[in-house]
Amino acid sequence: MKAVIKNGIAVFSPQGFLDGNSSSAFMSIEDIDAAANLKADMILVSLKKVVFFNRNGLDVFMKLFMKIRKKSHATVGFCDYDAKKYDAIKRFYQNELNFSLFKTLDIANLFSSSFKNLNKNILVYSSDKSQRSAIAIELHDGGHNPIIAQSLEEFNIKKEKKDAYDYIVDSTFLGQMGEKVATRVTGNAVIYTVSSFLDVEIGNMFNIEYHNNSLNVGFRLFIFDAYKVISMNVHALNFFSKLASSAAEYNATICFVGMKFDKTPQVFKDTMEDAGILFYTQMDDILQNKELLKELGASSASNVKSKRVLNKETILELPKFIDATVVTLEMMTNAKATKEAANVHNLIIEDKSGKIASSIGYFGDIDGMVILVFPSAIAKKACELLIGEDTDDMELILDSLAELVNIVGGKIKTLLADEGVSVNITLPRTYQDVDSLLQVVENRRGVQVDLLFNNDKFLFFLTR
Amino acid sequence: MITKDKIDSFIEKIPPAPKVLNETIRLLNMGELAKAAKVAEGDLALKSYLKGIVNKPIYGFANEVSEISQIFGILGVSLSQQTVYNYMVTLLSPKNWTLFHLNAKSFHDFQANLSKKWEKVLKHLGIDDKNIYAAITLLPASIIVTEALFCEKKEDVNLLRSIKALDYNTILVRLCGVSLFDICSQIADKWEMDEKISKIVQSASGIKPSDDESINKLAKWMHLLLFYELSQPEFIKAGLNDFVDFKIDYVEDIYEEFATLMGIE
Repeated sequence: MKAVIKNGIAVFSPQGFLDGNSSSAFMSIEDIDAAANLKADMILVSLKKVVFFNRNGLDVFMKLFMKIRKKSHATVGFCDYDAKKYDAIKRFYQNELNFSLFKTLDIANLFSSSFKNLNKNILVYSSDKSQRSAIAIELHDGGHNPIIAQSLEEFNIKKEKKDAYDYIVDSTFLGQMGEKVATRVTGNAVIYTVSSFLDVEIGNMFNIEYHNNSLNVGFRLFIFDAYKVISMNVHALNFFSKLASSAAEYNATICFVGMKFDKTPQVFKDTMEDAGILFYTQMDDILQNKELLKELGASSASNVKSKRVLNKETILELPKFIDATVVTLEMMTNAKATKEAANVHNLIIEDKSGKIASSIGYFGDIDGMVILVFPSAIAKKACELLIGEDTDDMELILDSLAELVNIVGGKIKTLLADEGVSVNITLPRTYQDVDSLLQVVENRRGVQVDLLFNNDKFLFFLTR
Repeated sequence: MITKDKIDSFIEKIPPAPKVLNETIRLLNMGELAKAAKVAEGDLALKSYLKGIVNKPIYGFANEVSEISQIFGILGVSLSQQTVYNYMVTLLSPKNWTLFHLNAKSFHDFQANLSKKWEKVLKHLGIDDKNIYAAITLLPASIIVTEALFCEKKEDVNLLRSIKALDYNTILVRLCGVSLFDICSQIADKWEMDEKISKIVQSASGIKPSDDESINKLAKWMHLLLFYELSQPEFIKAGLNDFVDFKIDYVEDIYEEFATLMGIE
């Protein structure tokens, strides 16, 4: 069984009956090994479509959780259950509940890095006082506003006022939470949150692949939110110095915000500054200062791209990129997709209004970025298979467009692998308007191809 | 990926029920077991299938049963007809499975398990209708249809399913507006199976509940039974567990009764 990963959460979704026999068929040793290597902040098993389980049925997932915890620092646990299932799991594992339980996947999302700082009002209740506090602290750390109900009566009264809360968290248990460095994106800056003592473990807790992907897709400003850092040792110092050196290759900037040096040698700060790391007292010193943002590269990623031109390798593989896009669109829509004019120039979008876009980077034997620009109505058509309902919800459409470009990326990877060209793909990125896309690809030359499906036009742009 | 034309072409290629089978079923319908057995003897493949199926451990016969007259005699009208329909469905199955890790034996096991457990359900519900007994035979046809339609698109489907948890039925409905169960109904029509069979199987998808409460009740039992079987290790490993979507809410009201009947603890 394979997990589906979205927003940093990998979810396994078994169906039917889970007992000792069936669950080992769901998770073979190979599946467990593959899951332990997943690059995800949370790895969860959804019980939404499980009608029956017993302890033996869940035990195989315990093995999976243990293996993941040993290998990485991801949060592990179950989600999507009703009160009966919740009680059963707690009864089965009363003294060994070191995994997490999230009533729904939406609730799990609140604790994941992709949901940080959205200022959601969240009503929290757990019959266990320490859990109430733990949940509230995690949510608060994530930038939300938790409101704790101290008793079941209070919870029942408060939850009646549905409009007062964006989410209601109950029947949820936080086991060992992920110790990964939390990541969020604000505009064109990536913000990592680090805390406590920074030592050699930072290498395991920091998702270097995500960081490299971010560099590859054009992010140029990385901010470490270090308000809660108590101190760091020389191993952490080396880690950040190396990170700064690799960022310099992309002309990217690394900043630390809120870091105090009362328990960390001052010489560490000097070393980090020598490596190019900048220090600021408060986050708003950067995020509210447009001039500074521009200077640091967060308003545009153009400062390095002009040096990266389309090369022969990329041009030679161009048909594969177009094929991957055409084949994916045909697969998703059942319509014939055709290619129109192809030209090499900077990205030109004649009519910017009502257009949305998505991009995916690839790196390895060759590197670059594929961008698809759609009129939003056409994007909706292209994503009908993924959306499954008639909707004008822009968030859902953009989300589906990210999934679509992810499939295109997967197809590119396969087609290139057939030719012996090995690449990895980055996380997809979406743009609600064309201006934010143009900021990223400003001054970048690439191959622009007009594509058609069902007489609907969209734009393909391949650049480096 | 999958077009309506491809589905139409698949249905068009389904052969009508062979004369021997039609005649066997007609005679079974009339309760003429001996005459039906005599006709069935003329189809060696049918004979071999019947022998193979009823001698599976799940049928629980102490000694090997080898003559069709014996088989029909032991099974009675409803189960004999059910078994002949099971054979008709196998005529559609591919020689080599590529999408699912199945083979002739495991597919026959699946049919036998479903049929015997369906018999148990119907006895529990006090139903003795040969068409309702036969309805379960159409369910495995949905697996054959999935294999036939998606086998050449295995990589594409895997790529799609690695990004979004979509079952084959949902993909088909969203792309073509036709479900696997609609296609099974068309097969039933082509084979002139009783209309009730189509209706039960359609509702057993869990996405088109019937207005007829008696059909809906049977469909719920069938839906839950399907997922009970698809949770067996052999069929999970075959990749069948999530080929269609399990509608847990649909079966909620019969679950306790089902669990007691099947001895689930």
